[in-house]
Amino acid sequence: MEVQKEAQRIMTLSVWKMYHSRMQRGGLRLHRSLQLSLVMRSARELYLSAKVEAHEPEVSLQPARSPDPRLHRPREAEAEAARLDGEQPSPEPMDTQEAPRAEEAPPRGGPRPAKVSRKRRSSSLSDGGDVGLVPSKKARLEEEEEEAAASPEVPDRLQPSPAQAEGAFPNLARVLQRRFSGLLNCSPAAPPTAPPACEAKPACRPADNMLNVLVRAVVAF
Amino acid sequence: MQTDIISTVEFNHTGELLATGDKGGRVVIFQREQESKNQIHRRGEYNVYSTFQSHEPEFDYLKSLEIEEKINKIRWLPQQNAAYFLLSTNDKTVKLWKVSERDKRPEGYNLKDEEGRLRDPATITTLRVPVLRPMDLMVEATPRRVFANAHTYHINSISVNSDYETYMSADDLRINLWNFEITNQSFNIVDIKPANMEELTEVITAAEFHPHHCNTFVYSSSKGTIRLCDMRASALCDRHTKFFEEPEDPSNRSFFSEIISSISDVKFSHSGRYIMTRDYLTVKVWDLNMENRPIETYQVHDYLRSKLCSLYENDCIFDKFECVWNGSDSVIMTGSYNNFFRMFDRNTKRDVTLEASRENSKPRAILKPRKVCVGGKRRKDEISVDSLDFSKKILHTAWHPSENIIAVAATNNLYIFQDKVN
Repeated sequence: MEVQKEAQRIMTLSVWKMYHSRMQRGGLRLHRSLQLSLVMRSARELYLSAKVEAHEPEVSLQPARSPDPRLHRPREAEAEAARLDGEQPSPEPMDTQEAPRAEEAPPRGGPRPAKVSRKRRSSSLSDGGDVGLVPSKKARLEEEEEEAAASPEVPDRLQPSPAQAEGAFPNLARVLQRRFSGLLNCSPAAPPTAPPACEAKPACRPADNMLNVLVRAVVAF
Repeated sequence: MQTDIISTVEFNHTGELLATGDKGGRVVIFQREQESKNQIHRRGEYNVYSTFQSHEPEFDYLKSLEIEEKINKIRWLPQQNAAYFLLSTNDKTVKLWKVSERDKRPEGYNLKDEEGRLRDPATITTLRVPVLRPMDLMVEATPRRVFANAHTYHINSISVNSDYETYMSADDLRINLWNFEITNQSFNIVDIKPANMEELTEVITAAEFHPHHCNTFVYSSSKGTIRLCDMRASALCDRHTKFFEEPEDPSNRSFFSEIISSISDVKFSHSGRYIMTRDYLTVKVWDLNMENRPIETYQVHDYLRSKLCSLYENDCIFDKFECVWNGSDSVIMTGSYNNFFRMFDRNTKRDVTLEASRENSKPRAILKPRKVCVGGKRRKDEISVDSLDFSKKILHTAWHPSENIIAVAATNNLYIFQDKVN
């Protein structure tokens, strides 16, 4: 849990730093942006792996989340108690009941597990807590338009004064956002170069936490 | 004042001159006093020789970006006549400056009157040849060449070639080769920009020419690797001749491993046999003939390894420290925090931590070695890690080419230290 919180804090901090770096004199620094995105990726991996570990016991106990998990608990706990040669005192099933339930609640106090199945998610983890990390559909569409409008590269060897804008800087925030969102969507290492229309659209869950707001702020610029 | 922060320090090839560049785009050159027989205890101090504004803030209207005037690097050209030449660069433009002395003035013109107005030619009856008369020494700096519009990304390095005809400038993704005489063209010799910017994984962080072989240069990357390239192999040196990389120590792996392995500076030894690299926590010496690992690794401030998260929060983890060799390549020096700088003797394996501060630097005072206490009991004159002032960082240092004189830039102050004279 601590690890998750820390990782999330670092992700939020990184997004803030990225946003802030655009305001600095001299413009966006490529090296700095790259380093920030590397930290974000590490934080994200840490966050997600910590989440997987935290939810591992739950996943094995209840493959399909029923509205009342309590029904399953006593049976499972009793079975385990029996396995442990009856050493466990009778209050044990109650204890095990409490602990997993506390863990179930996502760190940000997001939607209860019951609601999760309603929405389509692009994230491979079926967890409501991750919803805030997935950018909105609107942001994605903006990126697609920008990509189409980007100018092609011009080789600048042996050419006098190649001062043309190569489209990297004005679009860099969006490029980084795409990378960020691509990483958060658990896409493979190399973001897909196929037309975006072919990809599954991310869930358009409204943003209600700081991280998503910050992510949107980066896109807006 | 923000604009007084020193951003680069460099001795010229004889050590007679010391140039500094600052955040405000100014260059200040110091000159060493001639040692006089009368004052044997004064070993030739450095005094201000010339000050000029090298770069001004600019605005790129095409991209709506302000271009900082901060001087990123200064490199001297070897002296070929009475004048001195240096290259100075900001993020986008390199300039060649000529610094020359004027100590004579022509006098005796009779074409103008006392107020400087032209006299009526009819009133001039004699031809008077002007005579050169001595005047107070005046040092003037004039921009002789401006090399602009060749870099899309921010220039991090410039390096003068040993042929004294060409030099290179490196930004995050490209390295360009220039001829000093030609300002409207440059050759692109390295280009690591990926076709799809989303696939960007590393950038160029520093580059330098070999001190003797004009066809050879190295560049370092944000991934902690160094590539040596030979310009004779092909016009575009995207394929390296040698690739220096040390395998990562798995026990040191942490959340911030990737970013602290980024190399902030690379320097050839004077002999040309070795290269030295600086990353966030260490300095490494590499033998050009061995690519798979450095021959020496020196810990600069390993006590920071457990503080990386806080250093990320306060942005210190992004600080780019430089490193320098002494004239004989036997000692290396680099900066740290709390105005500390470190020296490592490669032969004796001894190291020392010194501090550049006003309190400790009365003239002729001897610098006392400092020690950082990493835990447990702190001795009387030790300083604990938590008491270090991270706003006082020494990023730029320089070593005289032949003598034990060092220049240390501590924010907006320049310290010059010399060996003790008996």
